[in-house]
Amino acid sequence: MMTRTFWRAAGITILALAAGATALAQRGGFRQPMSYSDNVPYDGRFVFVRMSYPTLGLGGRNSFYPPWSHDYPDGERHFMQILTAVTNLSGHVDGSSIMSFDDPEVFKNPVIYLCEPGYWSISDAQVVALRSYLQKGGFLIVDDFPSVAWSNFEEQMRRVFPQGSWLDMNELPAHPIFHAFYEVDANNIPTYYDLGGKPDFRAMFEDNDPTKRMYVIANYKNDLSEYWEFSETGLKPVDESNEAYKFGVNEFIYGITH
Amino acid sequence: MFESIFSSLFKYERLVFEQGQFVLGATRSMWLVAGAAAVAALYVIWSYSQVASLGARDKGVLLATRTALLLVAMFAILRPMLLLKVAVPQQNFVGILLDDSRSMGVADEQGRPRSAFVQEQLGRADAPLLAALTKRFVPRVFRFSSTAERLQSSADLTFQGTATRLGDAIDRARDELGGLPVAGLVVVTDGADNAEATLDETIAGLKAQGLPVFSVGVGKDNLSHDVQVTRVQTPRRVLKGAALVVDVVVAQTGYAGMKVPLVVEDEGRMVSTQEITLPRDGETQTVKVRFKTTDVGPRNFHFRIPVQPNEEVTQNNQRESLIDVFSRKEKILFVEGEPRYEPKFVRMATLKDENLQLVLLQRTAEATSNDADKYYRLGVDGPDELRVGFPTTRAELFGYRGIILGSMEAAAFTPEQQHMLEDFVDVRGGGLLAIGGARAFSEGGWAGTPLSNALPVALDAGRRNPIYPPFELTVRPTRAGQSHPATQIADTEEAALSKWKELPPLSSVNTLPVSALKPGASLLLSGNDPRGGEQVVLAHQRYGSGKTLILGVQDTWLWRMHAKMAVNDLTHYTFWQRLGRWLVDGVPDRVMVTASPERVQRGEPVTLIATVNDEEYRGINDARVLARVTAPSGKVEDVPMEWTVEEDGEFRARFTPAEDGLYSVAVEGRTKAGVDVGRGAVSVKAAPSDAEYFDAAMRAPLLRRIADETGGRFLRAADTQSLVDAIAYSGRGVTVVEEKELWDMPVVLLMLLGLMATEWLYRRSRGLA
Repeated sequence: MMTRTFWRAAGITILALAAGATALAQRGGFRQPMSYSDNVPYDGRFVFVRMSYPTLGLGGRNSFYPPWSHDYPDGERHFMQILTAVTNLSGHVDGSSIMSFDDPEVFKNPVIYLCEPGYWSISDAQVVALRSYLQKGGFLIVDDFPSVAWSNFEEQMRRVFPQGSWLDMNELPAHPIFHAFYEVDANNIPTYYDLGGKPDFRAMFEDNDPTKRMYVIANYKNDLSEYWEFSETGLKPVDESNEAYKFGVNEFIYGITH
Repeated sequence: MFESIFSSLFKYERLVFEQGQFVLGATRSMWLVAGAAAVAALYVIWSYSQVASLGARDKGVLLATRTALLLVAMFAILRPMLLLKVAVPQQNFVGILLDDSRSMGVADEQGRPRSAFVQEQLGRADAPLLAALTKRFVPRVFRFSSTAERLQSSADLTFQGTATRLGDAIDRARDELGGLPVAGLVVVTDGADNAEATLDETIAGLKAQGLPVFSVGVGKDNLSHDVQVTRVQTPRRVLKGAALVVDVVVAQTGYAGMKVPLVVEDEGRMVSTQEITLPRDGETQTVKVRFKTTDVGPRNFHFRIPVQPNEEVTQNNQRESLIDVFSRKEKILFVEGEPRYEPKFVRMATLKDENLQLVLLQRTAEATSNDADKYYRLGVDGPDELRVGFPTTRAELFGYRGIILGSMEAAAFTPEQQHMLEDFVDVRGGGLLAIGGARAFSEGGWAGTPLSNALPVALDAGRRNPIYPPFELTVRPTRAGQSHPATQIADTEEAALSKWKELPPLSSVNTLPVSALKPGASLLLSGNDPRGGEQVVLAHQRYGSGKTLILGVQDTWLWRMHAKMAVNDLTHYTFWQRLGRWLVDGVPDRVMVTASPERVQRGEPVTLIATVNDEEYRGINDARVLARVTAPSGKVEDVPMEWTVEEDGEFRARFTPAEDGLYSVAVEGRTKAGVDVGRGAVSVKAAPSDAEYFDAAMRAPLLRRIADETGGRFLRAADTQSLVDAIAYSGRGVTVVEEKELWDMPVVLLMLLGLMATEWLYRRSRGLA
């Protein structure tokens, strides 16, 4: 009985969302269905890896603009061009990868990128995989992070590390992530939108010890990749885009070196 | 038996014939008689030839027997004799040297110790052999083991000497008997000489003096039941926590194929045990033994096989080895040319090792027209360390003990820095590991550089492009790699082999075929790609004072991160910790000291050799070097060390332990101006030696050689009844010439009668009257 009721409600919701999406699209307020290039095969060089996840019918590679894909592909392509230009990283600028948390290939990429964590949900198997990934040496960058997304994100991460706690990185200005390549002041990193107040950065560490390795950096109340995606449009001042790029470079260099 | 038959037929012992000079003592009249006999013989031949009634065969037989008869008679008539120089009784001395060492206590003569022969035959004035010698000579009896001295009474023979210095003992006796008429030296021993010097000089001295040695071998040539730990090769100094793979050489007789445990103990605490199968009789077997060093300080490790049933020598079932275990941070510089994952994971692995300090200098941006290379530093001791990038002076670079050269092209280094890298290995004695990457090896332009001389593979200047997609390599240890300390990824060989099969494949963008290995290189890990090719993964070689290694893959971090590797599988950490430790193993400090020997007996001198170098590892000849020797009792002795003149920066001193126990030697070096150069330390153990029990069978070849080369004789203990005559007829000392007539030897009469009987019987059988 409950199952029949659930599916009926779900069907109505999906139809309503589809109708709304169609209407939005006709007004030009919504994007075209996404198409994704193939993942870059492993060859030892750096690849930008975007993590995908299912989100109530909006997920999947052939659906409309799912939350995990926001700013794809321009965000990573622009960022990779900057990253390989300002550093001497050997990285793929001609492509990137999209992976789910239970994809074994994730483990060949010790730095991964996740966005819109408010919609993020992972299975139990993915929880185990992510925990293993981070403990072994992986690093997760979380971006496009409105304040309302925190509760969901924190809940999902609590499944990964029940004892894990979050530290406010703005309180730790000497941390290497602010100095790994550029000298960055955490309090001067701009926000593209107002995502719920003054942005800050939160991090989870091995054994909750900030002197040890950082597992996750959350660009809380910030959306660096929005800057990356639209940096060529002139919608935002160059200086702001530069700051977004600089901290992005620091995050990735930190993840590669620590 | 043979000797008694010989002397029955030939009147004298064989010895007399060996020593005597054969002459014919016939007078002129005897020669005339002999001539007449010869004429008679010719007549016989002629007369037989004239007898027509005899056939050819009869003529031949009768002619032969009659002629032989005449020749034997002629021989006897000519008065054959032997001339011998015989020692004049009581006019000559004989040195008797009795082995008083521990090995004489080995009971391999039907359960009786070897010393029993000495005590019974030579231990008292009325002992049979000594009495026989005393009857002809004036004996001078010595006892010897590590030293030699005149034996005052038989009670002085204790058979507790902890070493046998055969050469020293002979030299000592020869010196004491110098100027006296000496007929020979009698050395009663099992021949278990364990002196470091050979006997060549001693034998040469004896030959020059014309002094024969009569060696009496006591004991069996081969033991019937014995297990022996023949040799153990351990490093002198190791870092705390080192996983050692040590060669233990085992020999045995009587237990072939038996499985026995080989136990390693650290100061009595068992740290390893493994079952081994004993080799065939008389053969040796080298066993690889793995154990860890956990406690700091000079440690006595024992390698032991339990005593087996019926063993004749039980004291040689174990060997001990002194290892100085020290603890400190060994500093390794990791120079990386680009941001990539490999250094991060190597650093994670080494951070878990309290004795390794990995200093990472990672280039994150290349120089532009406005800016120099940009580096990211991790693990430095202070803000000034590597502040401007790779060291520009030898003193700065040589402060590290190991270098890991990552994916960084040769052009990033100045020519001087490239020479410094080579000299880091060649002169400073450091360890350098070059690892794979797009900017490494040939692909990084390293072919033809000074460093390429030092690497264990020949680089190809024609290959400048990294391979994409890279080779996928399944990594396996070679035979050498299975037992090499740098590649021990598990505590046992079986576990390690199993683990190697589980590890995921790695990749390489460099072309490093096995055929490119240099002649002196050793391949430890090889990689097979799916196309069937084989690449060098890990190889090393000695170069100058140090060593170089290459690791031809770009992503060992997959052994940590790969999806199939469990979180708690720390194989990657173990691999890098042991590789890092081996990289810096044996790398010298500015002040180094060695002791020779490191294990002595009380009263034996120890030579200390120290090397004192400046920051660029050039010897400081005018340094002030002091060795502070601390005895087991705490007594301290300062011993100044003198420059040897033979080598730059090499200093020497000696001290003699007066107590049993562990001596600590701390050497301090200062420049002439008093600037501290550094300190070195070594430990010396003073204890009774157990060398006597090793290779404890009687060494007949050695004793025979001494006797043969000096004109003496080698006799076994059971054959000493001819010893007195052997010395008497040796011709040495005060002698008279003695004639030994041979005409009346029983064999002459037997030949005459035999020939006559033969002729008579032949005539009868042929009907010839």
